[in-house]
Amino acid sequence: TETLTAVHAFPSTLVYTQSFLEFVDAVNEAGDGVIRIDVRGGPEAIGSFQQADAVRDGVVDMAYTPGSFYAGALPEKDALVTSNRTAAEARENGGIDLINEIHEARMGVHYLGWFDSGVCYNLWTVNTPRLDDAGNLAMTDVRLRGNPVYNAFFTDYLGAQVIDLPTGEVFAGLERGVVNATGWTQIGLIDLRWNEFINYRIEPCFFSTDLGVIVNLERWNALSEEARAILRDVAIAHEISSAEAHRDRRDAEFEQLEAAGMTVVELEGEAAAEYLRGAREATWNRMRGLMEAQPLEADHFDRLIEHFYDFDRAGG
Amino acid sequence: MRAVWALMRRGHDLVVTAMAVVAGLALVWLMVAIVWSVGMRNLGMQPHAWLFTSTEYGVFYMTMLGAPWLVRRRGHVHIELVTATLPDGVRALVSRAVAAGCVVVCGYLAWRGYLLVQTNIARMDFDVRAYFYPRWLLTIAFPVSFGLMAVEFARFAVGRELMHTGQAGIHE
Amino acid sequence: MIWVEALAILLGTIAVLMALGMPVAIAFLAACILGAFLFMGGERGVTQMLNNGLGSLTSYALVPIPLFLLMGEVFFHTGLGNRMFATIDRLLGRLPGRLSYVTVLGGTGFATLSGSSMGSTALMGSLMVPEMNRRGYSQHMSLGPILGTGGLAIIIPPSALAVLLATLARVDIAALLIAGIIPGLLLAVFYMVTIFIQTRLDPSAAPAYEVAPIPLREKLFLVLRDVVPMVGLMVGIVLMMLGGLATPSEAAAFGALGVMVLAGAFRVLTLKALVASVTGALRVTLMAYLIVFGSATFSQLLAFTGASRGLIEWATSFDLAPVAMLLAMFAVLLVLGMFMEQISMMLLTVPIFFPLALHLGFDPVWFALIMLLALEISFTTPPFGLLLFVMKGVAPPSTTMRDIYMAAIPYILCSMLLVGLLILFPAIALWLPGR
Ligand code: NA
Ligand code: NA
Repeated sequence: TETLTAVHAFPSTLVYTQSFLEFVDAVNEAGDGVIRIDVRGGPEAIGSFQQADAVRDGVVDMAYTPGSFYAGALPEKDALVTSNRTAAEARENGGIDLINEIHEARMGVHYLGWFDSGVCYNLWTVNTPRLDDAGNLAMTDVRLRGNPVYNAFFTDYLGAQVIDLPTGEVFAGLERGVVNATGWTQIGLIDLRWNEFINYRIEPCFFSTDLGVIVNLERWNALSEEARAILRDVAIAHEISSAEAHRDRRDAEFEQLEAAGMTVVELEGEAAAEYLRGAREATWNRMRGLMEAQPLEADHFDRLIEHFYDFDRAGG
Repeated sequence: MRAVWALMRRGHDLVVTAMAVVAGLALVWLMVAIVWSVGMRNLGMQPHAWLFTSTEYGVFYMTMLGAPWLVRRRGHVHIELVTATLPDGVRALVSRAVAAGCVVVCGYLAWRGYLLVQTNIARMDFDVRAYFYPRWLLTIAFPVSFGLMAVEFARFAVGRELMHTGQAGIHE
Repeated sequence: MIWVEALAILLGTIAVLMALGMPVAIAFLAACILGAFLFMGGERGVTQMLNNGLGSLTSYALVPIPLFLLMGEVFFHTGLGNRMFATIDRLLGRLPGRLSYVTVLGGTGFATLSGSSMGSTALMGSLMVPEMNRRGYSQHMSLGPILGTGGLAIIIPPSALAVLLATLARVDIAALLIAGIIPGLLLAVFYMVTIFIQTRLDPSAAPAYEVAPIPLREKLFLVLRDVVPMVGLMVGIVLMMLGGLATPSEAAAFGALGVMVLAGAFRVLTLKALVASVTGALRVTLMAYLIVFGSATFSQLLAFTGASRGLIEWATSFDLAPVAMLLAMFAVLLVLGMFMEQISMMLLTVPIFFPLALHLGFDPVWFALIMLLALEISFTTPPFGLLLFVMKGVAPPSTTMRDIYMAAIPYILCSMLLVGLLILFPAIALWLPGR
């Protein structure tokens, strides 16, 4: 049996880690006698932001991490961040092959799969959101908890007052009013207990989670064809099943939050389209700038957008 | 020859002291940066993101830059247990051996740190927070700091003074 | 049993090197290098170790501690602290060991607002120990209460560590924070009883010198001049936090600035005092943070090799009565706490301990509080508790390791007693959040 060591970027109790551990169990079952994944731990074993380097250097063979944690090495990860497609669609149209090609060229790691896709981000606020005459969000008076992933959107487009706080300090920040709004994925707010302070969810949602499995390329190439096939097949199946599981979970959490008094504020028509355009354009501009500074293939930018963004779905 | 040696030593002392002064300024900067950024926020202004980032990097630079100076001051806590029970001659020997061990550890880390800097430059690695900050600007602290710490420990290994006093207890 | 070997090699290395007198931080790094070679694939592992160290030192969580140290050092070096405590000393009259009580009260108050054990120990240590030393207090009367109240910071809200634990374990955050209030205050009372017993057993430990009675008018004047501004500063910082103007971490910066402004107003802020304060704060910070560098990396290595997980799973694998299981988990936390830092310990133990605790029928809030107490105790247990090293950094040079250990023990026993009471009477923790 060949064994791959693995780490995950988030604590074991987090829903995304649970999803990865399900994938590991499925591989170990399907790969009995051929391939085994040996999970060595989460951020307590290797720091979240050091895991991609650990895979690159061969200290571990595999990591389950957001692309945003290695944004410095691979600016193209913003194609996944801004995506409005699911992993299954991107697998179908060749998007995942393309992002794998870029991972192999830039970092010497194989991109095995994009899990937990189809989960997007909302803006969550404590106070009633105010809309201007055109129905756009007015962000004055909002103290928004920031994060490098979405700051380009928050500051450049929304013009909000962004306050950087580590995730661990957000609870205290909301409690004392240091911040009164935050971006966060559709699921997980209840686990963090931020719902004790948050009263409004703003729709539409934007962006996407960008969690994926990367494998050291030398190690990947040294595996038997049989082992690679098992890993690939289980990964493709998990791309589909994890997206479905999260859709159900999201519906359940939204229901629970709304039952407890969470109000949904929906931007309408042109305002909604502007909002989504602001989110993706600010981030694409950042990606284009960084890609030009670290040249690889000139036409990658357009190909990435084409594979990971569906303009028809966004309504322009 | 002797004059050159003395000059080198003075130069080294000057560098170590200057780094400690920068570390002290970094500590004061932590206060200034936070007061500044909280002040801006409460005046309804957008605090500069680099104020926040500079405090996180500040802690790292402060620790690495000040570490050699602390070695010279015998400021890194150690426990005197074995050395306290030994007769003077043997104690001196153990003390020098321990200091030599520290030279090996710090020297090796300085070497690996130097290689890490080269990797970071070759890969164009960035540290991503509010900004894209070249990683080598951080990791360069490793070869410098551990290298100078190795030199400071070498003084206790072969120089006139010893690291251990022979009195039981935690020492600094 | 590969985890046993890994554990034995890593812990053995560090114990031998420390016993030989290698500086604690370097001993951690040496053990890490060895571990990287054995378990992380050689030289690549050493590079990883440097990367991990960089990650643990560029953390916002480390920002407030040097600032609390700076606050205490300025208080001390400008003589403001001396004035305040001299006045309190006179006002309290003849009560034996009065500054020890002041330390518990002040430390509890400070712990309440700071949420940082290291910050609280650093501030109280740099503020009180030199003063009490000068007044002839023996070491255990000055060091002990500070080590004790330092740990209170994570029990009494606000506490970042409690929030993190509750988040990881999916325990109601507010309930856990509120559950810490009564046990925290109870612990402070135990500390005062300890001081009372110590002054009875050994009256010379806290000199009972004669104090001339002061007329009321002068008393008022002294309070207004020497106590109100300093206490006012503390109150101002608490109000800033409660009003949402600053987070607890940010409040440390205002504390340091506030003391400087105060010293300026009293015309005692000399350049000499300022340089001495920054030097003092820097000294302790560097000492502590190089240990953080080494021990954080060491924690990760223990986790990566499976050594710590092996220990946890072994200790919890026996089919024992619930109370015995609780004590086994408690013991694991204390053992790990000798070598690991608190956040890594929580990440590692929560996924194993909490399902087990629920299975055994424990109340999760109650169990989380017991876990916080274990983390708090492991911070001050000999030989490697980080608070002991911080204390060594701020105490006078003549203080020995033995002094610090002996001072810590009665206060560790207080915490153990509290754990015992919580097991017998869970309502101590659960009554308040249940209301
Ligand atoms: Na607290
Ligand atoms: Na205690």
